[in-house]
Amino acid sequence: MRLRGIFFSLSERQSMNAHTHSTDDRCENTDDRRELQMARSMCWHCQSEMAGEYFCDRCVKVQPVSKDLDYFTCFGLPRRLALDPQTLETKFYELSRAFHPDFYQNKSDAEQTISLGNSAMLNTAYRTLRDPIQRAEYLLDLEAGSVKDIRTTPPADLFEEILDLQDTLDEFRASERASEHASTLRTKLHADRAVLEQRQRDMEAQLQQLFSRWDALQDRAEVTEQARVERGRILKDMRDILSNRTYVKNIVNDLVATIA
Amino acid sequence: MAYSEKVVDHFNNPRNMGSFKKEEDGVGTGIVGAPECGDVMKLQIKVENDTIVDAKFKTFGCGSAIASSSLATEWLKGKTVQEAGKIKNTDIVQELNLPPVKIHCSVLAEDAIKAALADYQKKADSK
Repeated sequence: MRLRGIFFSLSERQSMNAHTHSTDDRCENTDDRRELQMARSMCWHCQSEMAGEYFCDRCVKVQPVSKDLDYFTCFGLPRRLALDPQTLETKFYELSRAFHPDFYQNKSDAEQTISLGNSAMLNTAYRTLRDPIQRAEYLLDLEAGSVKDIRTTPPADLFEEILDLQDTLDEFRASERASEHASTLRTKLHADRAVLEQRQRDMEAQLQQLFSRWDALQDRAEVTEQARVERGRILKDMRDILSNRTYVKNIVNDLVATIA
Repeated sequence: MAYSEKVVDHFNNPRNMGSFKKEEDGVGTGIVGAPECGDVMKLQIKVENDTIVDAKFKTFGCGSAIASSSLATEWLKGKTVQEAGKIKNTDIVQELNLPPVKIHCSVLAEDAIKAALADYQKKADSK
């Protein structure tokens, strides 16, 4: 949608220029690309230099949100994991009002398209940043390019544990509900559940700690080798815990559903 | 989304479910997981004279993951270690008719085969 917005601006500009330029309409690809880049720093409508954030200062037309803009920047927030939900919400409502398609019904097609695209992007951005886990996952995606290896290390012990527990669950499902064997298994499963839920809480705490360490490191903004290594380590640890969290969550859900 | 008949068949009648003792001679074990969906797959091979004589799996995950690993064990039996390394996830996708959203299940199965083979090799080399 966002891209469509930009294309719209291009075609519109081309048709505007059509009477002044008699050059071939099918301009070469390289020109297209150059124009696309320019479209970001220039108002699609009046072509004046863009100083405003989402609206042109001169002709007040809404501007397409660039696809290079990350969600943090989109809300005017620093790339940190601690985030005040109130600030995010306020900014979200403010921008929602600015972009809402209802306010563009009497505007040009180009503006309607931009309003739709921007609103869709804004909603996704808000949903992503609102949830701390999704926010962290998103940050990892953003940083994936800058750090060499933030792939997860498979937690072999956890896998073994999950598969063992799965066996017990199967055994429990197959057992006679009223039997003594079933009640022994049930007791064991309840104990396992308590252990796993404690582990979930531990993981949340570890994540919180990593989030603070990341933010602190970003605030210091050092460019030393040491800072670079530390950055990589924090991101890698985050990646690992986020993955382990998914595995544990799945088995806990299964467990709870079975012994309910 | 509907599962293909073959997936349903493997899901309802999984082949070679179970496990070998890890320490057993000639046994290679691969345990892998997909962090996106939380599926966990364990695949084991038993090798005699460079040929896979038996294979077992245990999978905690969706129907496609179970079917992929079940099919993988079927294919592994009778293959040499070298042939086994050539099994590709795309073969599994094709055989089971997996839809795009379930392709990662077949990748998981291929990873599990690779991990089991690597584990077998490591054990063999350390002797």
